[in-house]
Amino acid sequence: MPREQIEALQVRKLKNLLAWTQESVPWHAKRLKAAGVSADNVNSLSDLGRIPMLTRDEWMEAQLEQPPYGPLLAAPQEAAIRYHLTSGTTGRIPLQVLDSMKDWEWIAEMWCYGFWGFGVRPSDIVFFAFSYGTFVGFWGAHYASEKIGCLVLPGGNMTTEARVKQILGMKATVVCSTPTYALRMAQEARSMGVDLENSSVKRLILSGEPAGSIPATKRLIESEWGARAADTAGMTEVGTIMIFECEKQPGGTHIIEDHFIEEVVNPESGEPVPYGEQGERLITSFGRGFIPVLRYRTRDLVVRVPAGTCSCGRTFDIYEGGIRGRVDDMKLVRGTNVYPRAVEAIVREYKEIDEFRIHLYTADGRQDEIEVLVEIAPAHDSQAERILHELRKALSQAHEGLRIGVKQVDAGSLPRFELKAKRLQDDRIVIGTTGERRTTA
Amino acid sequence: MKNTTGVELTESEQALVECYRTLVRILKKSNDLAPFERRNALKAVAALWQIANGLDMDPGQIYDIGA
Repeated sequence: MPREQIEALQVRKLKNLLAWTQESVPWHAKRLKAAGVSADNVNSLSDLGRIPMLTRDEWMEAQLEQPPYGPLLAAPQEAAIRYHLTSGTTGRIPLQVLDSMKDWEWIAEMWCYGFWGFGVRPSDIVFFAFSYGTFVGFWGAHYASEKIGCLVLPGGNMTTEARVKQILGMKATVVCSTPTYALRMAQEARSMGVDLENSSVKRLILSGEPAGSIPATKRLIESEWGARAADTAGMTEVGTIMIFECEKQPGGTHIIEDHFIEEVVNPESGEPVPYGEQGERLITSFGRGFIPVLRYRTRDLVVRVPAGTCSCGRTFDIYEGGIRGRVDDMKLVRGTNVYPRAVEAIVREYKEIDEFRIHLYTADGRQDEIEVLVEIAPAHDSQAERILHELRKALSQAHEGLRIGVKQVDAGSLPRFELKAKRLQDDRIVIGTTGERRTTA
Repeated sequence: MKNTTGVELTESEQALVECYRTLVRILKKSNDLAPFERRNALKAVAALWQIANGLDMDPGQIYDIGA
């Protein structure tokens, strides 16, 4: 679909969404009225800026004032068939959402864009390394695989070893997991003496963490599995994915623009940023009518580039490098900005490193310090000294000469993750106190 | 039958959109459906909504019928 048609479609869907929201959600209607916005006076995408942004804090407070969902539902609870929660990456309490039958079908439909776009077909056997709980995670992907006609292997409530065995035993051709867990399964396979590179798995579909678009992490996953890996990203607030990587793997993820409007703004001023510049993504969703989402501030950092940068022929714009981190991920260490994603990109260049953790602490009660704790695979223990030295140097060079300690820890001593990995531990205190914990960077 | 962007739908697409509209009509008006008939019709209408939506036919919201 040509860009001008996509935009015309978005404007029409936006007007419909505004009309539905005004009519069914008084809480939103009040906000829209206060901003002078109505379905009648929004006629182009340039009118978007007049619609008030919605923050997670506002959503959370609305929920606290009127539990459990807040005054945000556009339909009675009786119309719902699904309940899910955010995973709580940021914020104090999880957000709670509902979906109807139609919404749930739509959620799967969005995942179909990603699966089909990456080459998944009815003949595929899809394994889900996912725990099937209240976190929405790969639920929609599971139903998308069924919808496509694949054979679905629901790998919930299994040990990593059992999952690896089932993937091999059932000759799965597609594996879905977080990037971290894809590496965890590869480690497990190695310790079992299994040759994953020559297994039946041809594709990995990754979600849940930004690492799926970090080139070094992705390269490592692809080489460990001998398969191609595609990044996707979604959020519980809209119930599904809004971006996916196609088979051409353009180094980024296409935005599903016939179902969402994505804007990129300066996180401080809220002003739009041009193509190629990093900013925070805002999302407006046309799919789930149960809880309308208009200009929601995601806190995700992205760089948008035109669709033409991919050779697949889709006219959906691209987030180059996928989701690059979160606005609140950045840590300030002795005046230098440190992004966990940037650290991961360097650490993952070392295939010998099985797991790592970024640790921030206060030395002698007066100075911020940062160290990276690494587990080196036992088979490469003899190279530990060289790896630690090189890594220390590479990390420092990438951070304006900041001194970053690198320490080896025992194999298997760092935590492993199935869902969103939490590799940053911030133990810094307020300088001058005896131990008052710092709450911000 | 044309969609909202003025594109003419194929015969098969038109039939599917008609199917969606018919189901919505039945679910709104009929009180004589057995539970198994209603729940399977609801499942079908939820799936057909995706077609009508994908064809840019502005299918609207259908929470009032339970989908």
